Amino acid sequence: MPLKASYRHTYRLFIIIGVLAGAGLLARYLLVPSSFGQYGAYRGGAVEAARRGEPLHLGQQGCTECHEEKVKLHAKDAHHRVQCEVCHGPGRRHAAEGTAASIDKPRGKQVCLTCHQLLSARPGAFPQIEWREHFRFVGVKSDNTPCTRCHEPHEPLYMDRDVRTARLHPLVQRCRDCHAGRTRDPSTPQPAGHPAIFECSYCHSKITKDFAKRPHHKVRCSTCHLFFKESEFAGRIIRDADPRFCLLCHRAGDFRSDKAPPGIEWPAHRQEVAEGPEDAKKRCIDCHRDRIHIVPGKGDRP
Amino acid sequence: MGFVFPNEVHVTWTVMIVLYPYITGLVAGAFIVSSLYHVFGRDDLKAVARFSLASAFVFLLFAPLPLLVHLGQAKRAFNIMITPNFSSAMAGFGYIYLAYMVVVVLEIWFVMRPQFIERARGRGAVALLCRAILLFNLHSDEQSRLADRRIVRLLAGLGIPMACLLHGYVGFLFGALKANPWWSTPLMFVIFIFSAIVSGIAVLIFHYFVVSWINGWQVDQRCVRAMGKYLWGFMIVAVALELLEVMSIAYKQTEEWEVLSDLIEHQLFVSYVVVQFLILSLVPFLLLGIAALFRLRDRLSNALTWIAATMLLGQVLLMRWNVVIGGQLVSKSMRGFTSYFPGLWEKEGLVTAAVIFTLPFGILYLFHRVVPLFPGAARTDQTRV
Amino acid sequence: MTRSRREMPRRELLRLLAGGSGLLLVSCVPEAGADSRKGYDWSRHYWGYAVDTTRCIGCGACMRACRAENSVPHGVYRTWIERYRVDARGKVAVDAARPDGPSFGVVPGEVVKAFFVPKLCNHCERSVCTQVCPVGASYATKDGVVLVDEERCIGCGYCVQACPYGSRFIHPTLHVASKCTLCYHRITPGLQPACVLACPVEARLFGDLKDPKSRLTTILRQRRYRLLRPEMGTHPKCYYIGLDAEVV
Repeated sequence: MPLKASYRHTYRLFIIIGVLAGAGLLARYLLVPSSFGQYGAYRGGAVEAARRGEPLHLGQQGCTECHEEKVKLHAKDAHHRVQCEVCHGPGRRHAAEGTAASIDKPRGKQVCLTCHQLLSARPGAFPQIEWREHFRFVGVKSDNTPCTRCHEPHEPLYMDRDVRTARLHPLVQRCRDCHAGRTRDPSTPQPAGHPAIFECSYCHSKITKDFAKRPHHKVRCSTCHLFFKESEFAGRIIRDADPRFCLLCHRAGDFRSDKAPPGIEWPAHRQEVAEGPEDAKKRCIDCHRDRIHIVPGKGDRP
Repeated sequence: MGFVFPNEVHVTWTVMIVLYPYITGLVAGAFIVSSLYHVFGRDDLKAVARFSLASAFVFLLFAPLPLLVHLGQAKRAFNIMITPNFSSAMAGFGYIYLAYMVVVVLEIWFVMRPQFIERARGRGAVALLCRAILLFNLHSDEQSRLADRRIVRLLAGLGIPMACLLHGYVGFLFGALKANPWWSTPLMFVIFIFSAIVSGIAVLIFHYFVVSWINGWQVDQRCVRAMGKYLWGFMIVAVALELLEVMSIAYKQTEEWEVLSDLIEHQLFVSYVVVQFLILSLVPFLLLGIAALFRLRDRLSNALTWIAATMLLGQVLLMRWNVVIGGQLVSKSMRGFTSYFPGLWEKEGLVTAAVIFTLPFGILYLFHRVVPLFPGAARTDQTRV
Repeated sequence: MTRSRREMPRRELLRLLAGGSGLLLVSCVPEAGADSRKGYDWSRHYWGYAVDTTRCIGCGACMRACRAENSVPHGVYRTWIERYRVDARGKVAVDAARPDGPSFGVVPGEVVKAFFVPKLCNHCERSVCTQVCPVGASYATKDGVVLVDEERCIGCGYCVQACPYGSRFIHPTLHVASKCTLCYHRITPGLQPACVLACPVEARLFGDLKDPKSRLTTILRQRRYRLLRPEMGTHPKCYYIGLDAEVV
């Protein structure tokens, strides 16, 4: 008779395994968080936790309550798209505490150069400078001079945003818009298939020829004339020739080097040369047009 | 060098994640050897059957340790069993490991029951321990032993696919990750399993020789020759698959080949091409081939086999390193590489790795003190193995 | 799979066991439903994001705003900017923004083409990270934002490996996975993410893909855009306008 196997000695073992398995299942059942599976294979309470948290950045309207004047000034100018908190850091703490210590007041060139340093990867139309070159050009003698010496950060370039008649200016490009870091030799012919290069002289030859003979001939057209492509402001003089614009280069100061453009004291200069009450409102260009260039159609005289 | 995404500079899966598949690989390989005896009746492996089962158990015990060291929140480790997300290959780990551990523990219980009973009849702490393990039931007769044998065969048979699953899911985890060009291949699952079996057989050979040498025992020649042949066969398949994988991507030359060829030619040239393939694959292949195909004297054959097994142990570890670390050196931007050195005393450093790897051998020795793992090991004057 | 029907008997059982096991009590605290921000109905929104790479000036204001808003530690990035510089021979050099100060420095060398590409989590519709999380800590909300449950995450790092875009990282002090949350705490009360607010040139756009009148939807209908690594099948919801072929 074949041997019959006896499993009696295994009963204890399998009972214990069964008990442990049962305990394990019970433990698992109890340990699953109650909101798990509420919306999907995750803990529903996590969504609630993710929505909590005070936003630390307030946006422009958060600053307006106490700093209305500054915000209005800022909104009118070239930096109007730059949020206050980009330079000053998140404002929630400052809005709650109101102290100077609770907000950043960044100083120094690096703040401005973070956006305005000339980099080959930056779009050509974006205003950017090589700061040493810029300092030489506008005659600043010390490397330590902060940008804010001339450019008020909340109003760096006054821009009148009331729109006059929209004018379409031909697509104007600078070589640097596409060929960052290289300069074009004007004598080389335009290669076939190259996007059209416009020089100011193509349409405004009378002006450019005249300008070349005047004291400002080293200044690029785009320094004074808004130059951005397809903009309704294209061609207009920055700040509408407000004296403060000319003063960016021509305000005298001990920070200027010997090579600086001729400088004046302002508003002293206006008081000096005013001959009558109507002169009080004149702009620099009204008297000093002969230093700039003729405007054909306005009598062809400087 | 080159460009890596800023978040990729730091390598996330460290030497601990190299060690984990290595250890589970040793488990899988050792278990296969044990099952070759218990299920498929390969009598020539009888000498190491018990030893391989105990090795599988001890390595399995230590397998989660590198993972626990690596986890950012190890105290939440049980989340993987409480709320597993089964769309993730990694979620299987908790339950597969648990089930497989149960199988191995049960198999040891049934295989070694006679030895436990013998020890339990003595006096002292070890005897008490054995009685507790037997759940205070020391009954044994012909019928119960027959039942034991049947259960063992069942468990060993059940254990083979589970061992493949326990180790294979790691390979699948890497191979199914489309974001990483070095890892993403359907072959990864198979490569991991076969190299795991290679490492398992190799560690058994290595350990068996060392233990026999230390104790002055004579090795079972039939067993060693059989293991050598199995090792040779499995390593041919494993290395062939590894070569096939890299040759396939080299031939296809899709977008990622540019950065991967750079990886192989520079970053991994020494560890992958020179050491893993030329030294630690080719040489053992030749040594084991000579031992298998030519009729050599026992001493020479054993020496070749042991050297080859030791080299293959290193080869499998290096293969894990090259896969895990190599894959993270490549940036997903396809433009550059980061670098990695595990550090010596860091939480996930080399010293920790060395400790985790050597501890199982110590525990195996303790196991042996409770239940001898080498029945019939004879002392001999000719102690040279 | 909801457990709402079983909550009551379980709470009774818990009270019984509470006396015996403090541990169980800690892990079983009942949690409220997820509709606290009054009035926010997540089924009515589906958030998307667009990046206009032709406008980015690489100033890094977005990175600094994100870092401040979300307390992101140094060395890891929820968002970053890449700079691509192509020389006359067609060789491309890529570098990433520094976290502080001027994000990019002047690099000498001839450049014929250069541009910036901001990057962030793409909040994919079929995200790999949610698929591979073993414990259900990485998930997508009904309004299309992929988030991490920082109390559930075990820090295994699988999601970090799985993301094809390098958007995820292991938080160096919390030791859990972390990434861009689209400032979920800001967008649910109707604000914009911090990075979108900070960008001075409108290179980053955020909006509701379910709203046919939103600025984002309008722009996506007017402009040509591309996705990052579309062959991965992740269906990212971050649309790149003016994306160059060199960008992966």
